[in-house]
Amino acid sequence: MTALLTVILSFIGALLCGFMPASAHQRIRWVALATAVAGFAVSMVCYFDITDGKFQHILGEAENWIPTLGISFITGYDGISLPLLLVTGLVAICGVLFSWDLDNRANQFYAYYFALIGGVYGVFLSLDLFLLFVFYEIAVVPKYFLIAIWGGVRRQFAAMKLVLYSFGGSALVLLGIIAIFFLTKDADGAIKSFNLLELQKGEVAAEAQTWIFPLLFLGFAILAGMWPFHTWAPTGHVAAPTATSMLLAGVVMKLGAYGCLRVAVGLLPEGAQEWATCIGIFAIINIVYGAFVALKQDDFKFVIGYSSVSHMGFVLLGLATLNEIGLTGAVLQMFSHGVIGALLFAIVGTVIYTRTKTRMLDELHHLIDRMPGIAWVFVAAALASMGLPGFSGFISELYVLIGVWESLSGWILIGAGFGILMTFGYTLVKIHEAFFRERKTGDAPKVETPYPAMTIPEKVGITILLGASLLIGICPWILTDKITPSLELLLKPFAN
Amino acid sequence: MDLDFQKLLLTLLPDLVVVVALFAALGVDYSRLRGAALAKRYETAYRISALGLFAGLVMAVLQACGKMCVMDAAATAGQLKLTTNTLTLKTALFALALAVLPLAKRDLVTTHASEYFALILLATLGMGFVVTSQNLLGAFVALELVSLSLYAMTALNQSRAASGEAALKYLTFGAVSSGFLLFGLSYLYGATGELNLANLPQLESTSLLIAAYLLIFVGLGFKLALAPFHLWAPDVYQAAPTPVAGWIGSGSKIAAAALLLVLLQPVANSPELKKALVLALAALAVASMLVGNLGALRQTNLKRLLAYSAIANAGYLLVGVLAFDSPITDKANGNQSVLFYILVYSIASLGAFAVISVLADRLGRDAEISDFNGCWKAIPGLSIAFMIFLLSMAGIPPLAGFLGKFYLFLAAISALPEAASLDQGFYWLIAFALMMSVVSLYYYLRVLKAFLVVTDEDGEAKQVPVGIADRISIFALAAIIVALGLWPEPLLGLLQN
Repeated sequence: MTALLTVILSFIGALLCGFMPASAHQRIRWVALATAVAGFAVSMVCYFDITDGKFQHILGEAENWIPTLGISFITGYDGISLPLLLVTGLVAICGVLFSWDLDNRANQFYAYYFALIGGVYGVFLSLDLFLLFVFYEIAVVPKYFLIAIWGGVRRQFAAMKLVLYSFGGSALVLLGIIAIFFLTKDADGAIKSFNLLELQKGEVAAEAQTWIFPLLFLGFAILAGMWPFHTWAPTGHVAAPTATSMLLAGVVMKLGAYGCLRVAVGLLPEGAQEWATCIGIFAIINIVYGAFVALKQDDFKFVIGYSSVSHMGFVLLGLATLNEIGLTGAVLQMFSHGVIGALLFAIVGTVIYTRTKTRMLDELHHLIDRMPGIAWVFVAAALASMGLPGFSGFISELYVLIGVWESLSGWILIGAGFGILMTFGYTLVKIHEAFFRERKTGDAPKVETPYPAMTIPEKVGITILLGASLLIGICPWILTDKITPSLELLLKPFAN
Repeated sequence: MDLDFQKLLLTLLPDLVVVVALFAALGVDYSRLRGAALAKRYETAYRISALGLFAGLVMAVLQACGKMCVMDAAATAGQLKLTTNTLTLKTALFALALAVLPLAKRDLVTTHASEYFALILLATLGMGFVVTSQNLLGAFVALELVSLSLYAMTALNQSRAASGEAALKYLTFGAVSSGFLLFGLSYLYGATGELNLANLPQLESTSLLIAAYLLIFVGLGFKLALAPFHLWAPDVYQAAPTPVAGWIGSGSKIAAAALLLVLLQPVANSPELKKALVLALAALAVASMLVGNLGALRQTNLKRLLAYSAIANAGYLLVGVLAFDSPITDKANGNQSVLFYILVYSIASLGAFAVISVLADRLGRDAEISDFNGCWKAIPGLSIAFMIFLLSMAGIPPLAGFLGKFYLFLAAISALPEAASLDQGFYWLIAFALMMSVVSLYYYLRVLKAFLVVTDEDGEAKQVPVGIADRISIFALAAIIVALGLWPEPLLGLLQN
């Protein structure tokens, strides 16, 4: 029951906020903060409850929901879902903190916000494919409203594009799930169940895996921002209000990656092996292409948007390795990019933008003098994102690269190395452009008054996210000790 | 043949009550209320018909629960098939009609007050007989009763000249399609010499029978608004009084879908005939999904958009019809999936029309999508209900429409369970249907954008008084959609053959 509380509390929070009057936004934000904190607290409890690699606290029995269709309401979590529960909790809290001053239709905002978060928690906890899909879809529609109502420039277009991409991905996933339902067989014939625990007992014929795997993987990977289906991500991230872009980059893209790992790789090992190299190549394109495009952007938020695409490439690359260390890297990278991506969007979208009123790099003028504190925080966050040792990004990318070294071709490793160099490049260039150079368009301002200092919610949010990245960077075993045993179980079929 | 008249009376009691109410409504209107104010005549006719329909509903529920011992073929000499399955459908139809009545009362679209309600009741009676009938001719006559009532009701919108034109269009198309249907049924009779569906012998795969079924598909395709027999739908949906459009889009669809399934059952045992027919059904499904979804993309009028969405949804429905012969014991049963889906779709569609009728007709507008800008502020409750209906049609979980669609797809695959690649079985059809449902999300969201996203300057003007009966029916429909999505098992159990 404990773990499922994350979902229940989020949905209750959504209803509570939705039914409060819009004028009470001062009270609504406290309700929202409480809901988010409660969700995180529950996931912390889950953290300490985990003892081995198996699914913990399995709740529900087989076929207890819709027996006519072999559907069960069954939840539980293991070391793979755990880091994602944690990152969802963290980002949810910080999203509320960075929208502290939101007063336009605040009740509806948090209703959609927590409906989305409840769906996300649900995906990470589902042990039934149908249930997982239900939660996966619950997380789609609120995104539309969050962006279309509270977003920035071109919000209607971006919202529609993002939702249609997500929905298109889930259409592929649904087809794959139905195929798995009919084609997973054990000694007695077709299992005809959506229950993950049941499905793991049987297997899908190798020829069928060859076509089901790419369907499922692609369906999920669209949400993970895989090239060439990544274009929803930058437009969506940029048009979204800060809290939503934090959720999109920090959590929603992880939904896709999680689905790839849990469903596609977990249930179709032979298909995964067959397509591993292909995924590796796409991952490299993601990393390098994302980095190149980020380098060319003028809009600060687009830089972060494309850097997200690039970093998700490392997750995909980790998935392609199909070995323990590479997959550990992938899961760590999901956590790591979750906190860092959210942090970068928060700083650019709220902290800097509310002060400068522009995100165009050409119009920013020597920000280091006018907001030194914020500038140094951003530099720290950007270095974390770049993979500086001491931050979580370094550990996760290292794991992924070792994984690639062990099982994929050398060319892919070279590609990844090139991608890392590119990441260094665009991060440093963009730091320079934003904070250390003179404005390129218009006249330099005559009087250079410093901008107001960070507010308390901003400080708290930044501390939480940066702290989480540092903590994992310095003590990665906090998570790896939980992740690795679960991956061992997931990888068992690959040993044969 | 020997008929136990007491039993027959018990069997037909729900219908009798409704017939009595129908005549009472007409009689009172013609005698005591002659010359009375229109509003009063509406109110009286509404009360009498609602009372009668409610009494009928209660009895139908009792029958469906097995409390009135009517589930016995001998009671009607085999003319009616009374099982939990068919009685559930009949009950659902009566219940939905009960939700239509308060909507019909609001707008005083016509001076024919009692006739309006009488026609709604007549159509409902007809639908009840279509879903229970076991006899080819009986089913046809019942279906015509439905159609004729609907034609007449379409013309009732006296404030719109287009109403009469749409009714004429509906009538001409409908009459021709009825001809096709009757032609098909007569071939079926000619080939087998049997009018009672329960006694139909094993069918051979002859060209006569193939022709018979193709003609039946044309006839029922019209009623279900399948492409290419859909041309009447957008005009009728737009011009008919909104509650009537809602009833055309829900009740008559349930009846036609149920009849299609019943007529297909004899084919189950003849594989060759089945093969030919399944191909035709799949083609109709693809055409409808394509026409419906692409057509809806460029609509600016909400009712027309819903008409195209109805065409698309009829296409999805056929995907499940393909599995009409899957064994009852199977985990995914075609017939069950089709009935579940059509019920859920009808509830959502009726709900959507109910919201439109409350908002648009009262404001004297033509239900352009932009008319609904800023509804979230003026009427938050109804906007949320409308979101539930539309997202259910779009197939977004956890709403019932998603489960329905999911079940259809599951059933279609289970029709050929050995298929193991994309080009075998119906995987291709499912892939197409899923692609189309991505398209559909675009236009559903466009509508929801008006309702929930856009802020309208003159938002205050949209404050419309919503009667208590309207509220109850709309929120009840929305609650059912949510409940069936979360807990579908009871209804699925009732729909098991």
